[in-house]
Amino acid sequence: MRWLGAFVLLAALPFFLGDYHNDVYRKMLLWVTLALGYNFLFGICGQVAFSHFAFYGIGAYSVVILLFQLNVPLPLAIVLGVAVCIVVALAVAIPSTRLEGFYLALATLALAQLFVVLLNEGGSVTGGNGGIANYRLPDIFGVRIRGPWYTAVICALLVGTYALLWRLDRSWFGRACRAVRDNPEAAAAMGVDVARTKVIAFTLTSALAGVAGMVYAFVDNTVNPPIFGLDNAFLLLFMVIVGGAGRHAGAVIGAALLFLLPFFLSPIVGHHHVLVFGVLVVAAILLQPKGLIGLFDFMRKSS
Amino acid sequence: MQDFLELTVSATASGCVYGLLALAYLLMIRPTGIINFAVGEWAMVGAFGGFLLLSKYEWNYAAGMAVVLAFMFLVGWATERIAVRPLVERGAPVLAPILALLGMLMVFREVVSVSFPPDPHPVPYPFGLGRLELGPLGGSYQSFFIIAVTLIVFAGFWYFFEKTLWGRSFEAVALNRRAAALMGINLSRVTALSFAGGAGVAGLAGLVVSPNISAHYLMGVPLAIQGFTALVIGGVGRVEGALLGGLLLAFAEQLTARYAPIPSGFAQGVPLLLMMVFLLLRPTGLLRAKT
Repeated sequence: MRWLGAFVLLAALPFFLGDYHNDVYRKMLLWVTLALGYNFLFGICGQVAFSHFAFYGIGAYSVVILLFQLNVPLPLAIVLGVAVCIVVALAVAIPSTRLEGFYLALATLALAQLFVVLLNEGGSVTGGNGGIANYRLPDIFGVRIRGPWYTAVICALLVGTYALLWRLDRSWFGRACRAVRDNPEAAAAMGVDVARTKVIAFTLTSALAGVAGMVYAFVDNTVNPPIFGLDNAFLLLFMVIVGGAGRHAGAVIGAALLFLLPFFLSPIVGHHHVLVFGVLVVAAILLQPKGLIGLFDFMRKSS
Repeated sequence: MQDFLELTVSATASGCVYGLLALAYLLMIRPTGIINFAVGEWAMVGAFGGFLLLSKYEWNYAAGMAVVLAFMFLVGWATERIAVRPLVERGAPVLAPILALLGMLMVFREVVSVSFPPDPHPVPYPFGLGRLELGPLGGSYQSFFIIAVTLIVFAGFWYFFEKTLWGRSFEAVALNRRAAALMGINLSRVTALSFAGGAGVAGLAGLVVSPNISAHYLMGVPLAIQGFTALVIGGVGRVEGALLGGLLLAFAEQLTARYAPIPSGFAQGVPLLLMMVFLLLRPTGLLRAKT
């Protein structure tokens, strides 16, 4: 019920916004969705991966390629797109979780780079440097979903993702993930299959990123390689750190803040808002490792 | 055959650059366990130092090189002070400094991009443009210069680690931090020096490679990834591994670009594939650590 209320509230807003603000609003919601998924992987399960944004791209590209080059119907294209994400995620996660330490980060860093290379070199399949453009969402039951109505789809995605991760966090699986993050040896001793927990968390969040990517594909009606590069993967990590890793509310605050900050900073520092991000991240890690949400808790406790 | 011999020199030279970057990673990973992706940005800072002193103010090459090196030592030391030491002293998990250094990476890049216009900045060749023929092997002066510099650096570090008391204390920290601290080795000094050394080596790599590719504020990340791939191939156990990994990577890269019947863009994917294969099959790298 609470989720439904949140959805109605979020989805009602764009009907009062102009086109430009609607666009900004949509992208912010997508970033929040991504940050929530990444927070589960990085903040709750303690795995550092740079591939989350690549999976966003894999989702977007696969749905576009399936729909418009292979002429697959929309429901099947969505299922196949998710399947692609799951297969790639398993192929990366299973071997790299066998290894100790930082290896998942390295394997996913290589994957993220490789993905951009493949996009650029994919010829007519991926459209090369320019990507694919000039397509639009197929009609669903003869209805064309556009404008604020499509924003409602994004709101449903966000609320659905939040609800799923929130439930999961409170289930045995969420507790297993936190145990794996805090002390893998102790978790194993308690009967948690550490490797399997890591693989499931990685695959699940990657698939969620893929779904978000499919929704993104029809926001600008264009997909191209620069969007899915490493810079945005770093930005996602920064959002979760600044907001507060391991807390859903932290991910929401971090994503909204870092996404909106450039709009407010650009009159002051021009295009150099990334410098501010870097300083913010270093400051967050040094001064308040729990992020903004930790700062909020601290202020509430002391007042 | 002529073609192959030509390629040998240039591949060796780029392998040496990767090897230097891998060495920079290795210097920091061995005693601290911290992977510092800002290595690529340090190389970029070194390249811009070269542009500023050698191109803009037209200093003598050796003097410019020495000042850039000294400056890089300072940068490395300051980075350790700001982003690593407070976290280590607090007892934060090893991931915290790695993430803080990712933040520093952005700070370095953006500080340079604020200070210089976004177009590539030329850095001069120390011996001008020219070819040197050594028997069947021929290559540009710069290729041979890079190879010579790299050999000197690696020989220096090999001597340092194997023959000097200071170097042995680094090894002791790498093997067991606690035991080394109990033996009276100053851990924070070792950490500070390893960061200063890492920054010096990375800056040097940036300085010698920049005449070929020009100093640009986005040059860091590709260098960081290639250096890291070289490190993964060679293994973090031994100093020589870094050079071996760099050479293997450069040859794999250039041979596929030259001879494999695939589009040139795909050749960029070769090092990444190599890195994944090594991570999955041989995560300790080619050279095992000495016991």
